[in-house]
Amino acid sequence: MCTKSAGLAGLFLLLITLAMPATADTWQHENGTLTLDKVPERIVALNWAATEALLLLGVTPVGVADLAGYSHWVREPALPESGVRNVGTRVAPSLEAIAELKPDLIVTSAEMAPAADLLERLAPTFVVSVYKEGSQPFAKARRMLLALGEMLGREARAQEVVEDVEQTLAEQRARLAEAGVTERPVALVNFLDARHVRIYAPNGLYQTALKALGLTNAWPHPGNFWGFSVVGLEAIAAFPESRLVVISPTPPGLADTLAGSPFWTYLPAVQRDQVYQVEATWPFGGIYPVKRLATQITDSLLAGGSDNVQ
Amino acid sequence: MYSDTATLPAQRPVLPARLPVAAALLWLTALLASALPWLQQLDPMALLSAFWTFNPDTYASVLAHFSWAPRVAMAVLVGSALGLAGSVTQQILGNPLASPTTLGVAAGSQFGVTVASLFFPGLLAFSPDLPAIAGGLLAIAMVIALTWRLGFSPVTVILAGLVITFFLGATNMAFLLLKGEWLGNLFIWGAGSLVQNNWQPFADLWPRVVILVALMLLLMRPLQLLQLGETSASSLGAKVAWVRALALFLVVLLTATVVSRVGVIAFVGLAAPVLARLLGARTLGGRILWSTLLGGGLLLLADTLAHWASTWGDGSLIPTGTTTALIGGPIILLALQGFRNTHHMPGQTSSPAGFLPKRRPILLVSAVLTGLLLITVVVSMGWSPGLDGWRWTGLSQWHEAWIWRGPRMLAAVLAGIALGLAGTLIQRMTGNPMGSPEMLGISGGAALVMVVIVLSGLEAGRMGQLVAATAGAAGALGLLILLARRHRFAGNQLLLGGLALYVFMDAGLRLVMASGGTEASKLLNWMYGSTWLVSEGEAISLLVFILMISGALASVVRPLTILPLGEQSASSLGLPVARVRLLLLLLAALLTAAATVVIGPLSFVGLIAPHLARVLGQQTVGRQLIAAALVGGVLLGVADYLSRIIVYPNQLPAGLLAALVGGIYFLWGLSRHGRA
Repeated sequence: MCTKSAGLAGLFLLLITLAMPATADTWQHENGTLTLDKVPERIVALNWAATEALLLLGVTPVGVADLAGYSHWVREPALPESGVRNVGTRVAPSLEAIAELKPDLIVTSAEMAPAADLLERLAPTFVVSVYKEGSQPFAKARRMLLALGEMLGREARAQEVVEDVEQTLAEQRARLAEAGVTERPVALVNFLDARHVRIYAPNGLYQTALKALGLTNAWPHPGNFWGFSVVGLEAIAAFPESRLVVISPTPPGLADTLAGSPFWTYLPAVQRDQVYQVEATWPFGGIYPVKRLATQITDSLLAGGSDNVQ
Repeated sequence: MYSDTATLPAQRPVLPARLPVAAALLWLTALLASALPWLQQLDPMALLSAFWTFNPDTYASVLAHFSWAPRVAMAVLVGSALGLAGSVTQQILGNPLASPTTLGVAAGSQFGVTVASLFFPGLLAFSPDLPAIAGGLLAIAMVIALTWRLGFSPVTVILAGLVITFFLGATNMAFLLLKGEWLGNLFIWGAGSLVQNNWQPFADLWPRVVILVALMLLLMRPLQLLQLGETSASSLGAKVAWVRALALFLVVLLTATVVSRVGVIAFVGLAAPVLARLLGARTLGGRILWSTLLGGGLLLLADTLAHWASTWGDGSLIPTGTTTALIGGPIILLALQGFRNTHHMPGQTSSPAGFLPKRRPILLVSAVLTGLLLITVVVSMGWSPGLDGWRWTGLSQWHEAWIWRGPRMLAAVLAGIALGLAGTLIQRMTGNPMGSPEMLGISGGAALVMVVIVLSGLEAGRMGQLVAATAGAAGALGLLILLARRHRFAGNQLLLGGLALYVFMDAGLRLVMASGGTEASKLLNWMYGSTWLVSEGEAISLLVFILMISGALASVVRPLTILPLGEQSASSLGLPVARVRLLLLLLAALLTAAATVVIGPLSFVGLIAPHLARVLGQQTVGRQLIAAALVGGVLLGVADYLSRIIVYPNQLPAGLLAALVGGIYFLWGLSRHGRA
């Protein structure tokens, strides 16, 4: 709570001083204060939300954690083919590799808290946790993007990105309202195997997309701080009124298994042909996946559902 | 001191009806508990008929037929199969505490499925059994290969199985840590879930189970002969080794087949036969029958509890493997009270008296070890892979490189020293060369407390972690000493008590893993000892802490020499036995906890270092302490270095590497000295 209000206050201060010429600027973050003498050029991002924010600002980081994983799971905004180095896994990045890149800014989250003082000695470190107990991911990611925009001298670009996302959300909402398909709640799921799904909870990033579209989340319980719960497939049977939006990818052979299972074929959403499948988006990113997901949900709701996954 | 004629609890008189009554009670409770939530929506007859039909107009009836009924059937089938497999395993090995889980079959199956999901996903879709069976067979083959020369001596087999479990478990964890996103379903599978939405899995499984069970029952008579003892069984014409191998093969097939469908359901296979025996099943036929029945009932009850727990909470899945471990743990502890201590632990007969390598001067040995430690430090600080290839870091740049290489190295070396000291203390205290913080569950106790902290979402700093871990380690050690005092620290009891603690910790771990997210990766990283988060301040406070403890240790060298002579002689030599025991207990717990916070509970260094110190010819307490500390420091220093460079820029937890190396060393030592 304390850090949040401090962060807000810091942001507010920044907005006021926006017009003034920058010398040695300071920023408040979750672990203290960050002072920058000049605009950073060699930036290392230790989580994918931060990587995404940098790329949205048009800044290519010199190093990111789990490079191959980002290109496989997050995809958009895309990392350039070359020039970015991998600094290790997201839970255990290599301090050695970070040091070798001689960064002038490291962007990380509170998960790295125990190593914070070591990171701080390598380069100025900006700590912002989009995902953490009690945080609101979208609002936090938005603040992170704006703050990074300040720091990197790309305020205008940051504003543009935020406005673009907000405008897209409003447009999609209007499309849905026009077609009049917002009445039924929506359950957002990822299939882990034929028996278990990850269901996205009201405290997650995707809730922002649903809310902005004027849709209700069928799942009422809060999930973990990443904003999901792992549940058995039978748990969605408790919400017969809801539609089912399945986020790709699905495990191989899932459609056949489900088609052969009367439990699935008798599921009210299936009986009403209200199963919708959307392309893969990374559910633990920043603000960009929300835009992507909102557009895809709208498209697929308007296109009409089917009685199975694809 | 090491005699096996420990006091036997007198056999309690057994009511003949106790077993059927208990089984019936268990089944009735489990069935009622399972049906209870459904009775609000369906009348009892409709619910019962869910097992064969459904009414398409009532959605509740569809759900009951395709979700509840197959889940109940699956729980009963799987539980019975595992109970049966457990009792047969116990018969084969002549050991009342054997089970497929303790033989490494479950870990092997998990290994098979992990490898298949990563490299051959098509195979997994084609047949989930094949990789699981292959992995299970691999595990059991490793156990057999290791214990072949020892003639399957029961306790040796169990120990080998445990180490294989740790070993394959550690390999599985390495995959999960590096490829977590690709293995999302394995997090659930590793925890065991009986969720069903179809009769298909049950229909697939039951014929296989029936065939395997029928084959096993055919082996009943030869197995019964085994009960007469090997010599007489051979003279009766039963080819002992073949019958055992065949029966073990069937057990592996049955376990792996079951596990490949529903995931790792821990400890039903151990708890059911133990319970049957405790309740008075005496004959082989009786034990097999009642284990099967109790296994089915137990798993149904555990699964119902898991289902209830997930509906009470925020709806997220509580894996069945968690609840079975929670039920299985206490049953094992209970069983430890009642069993006769008839088996040696390996090493028991041969040492410390029998196993005496050539004595070497302490100065020479410690000089060599210190030299090795220095080399480790220099290489670790200087020679490293970069993003563009390997290079040396000059001495002039060490102050910079210290930031990212120094604290973790220092902490790892110190943790190794602490474990070497703690291991020596515990081996001397228990007079048991196989005793160690890891094997006796003292690290497990420390880890259990830490897992509980993670589960409850508390944010504890390093200091809080250290205090909590110390409490956990001291609690575990105290409990074990209470438990084992009757058995004079000599039997399986200590080891298996430690196992029970490990089970509890494992249950918590599985729960966190099934809930997904990077919390699981963080916890796994810690469990297997990632040193990369250690800060400079923490490393230095650890240094001060270890120095202080070492000072205190100097004062306990004499008591440690005297104590194993027995309490009588110790007090007659003027030693306040109770106070000294308490002091030793506290020191060992503190050392273990400090090491566990840094390197996790599973490094094996506390077992290896004291052993190596003896191999290097350091027999007296003081010398063994010094040598073991240095050996431990070198081992974990090297492990930390390797963990940093081996998959650069990714990292493996140092404790994981130590566990892999330590596991191999332990197995080698077991096959050399383990003739029980």
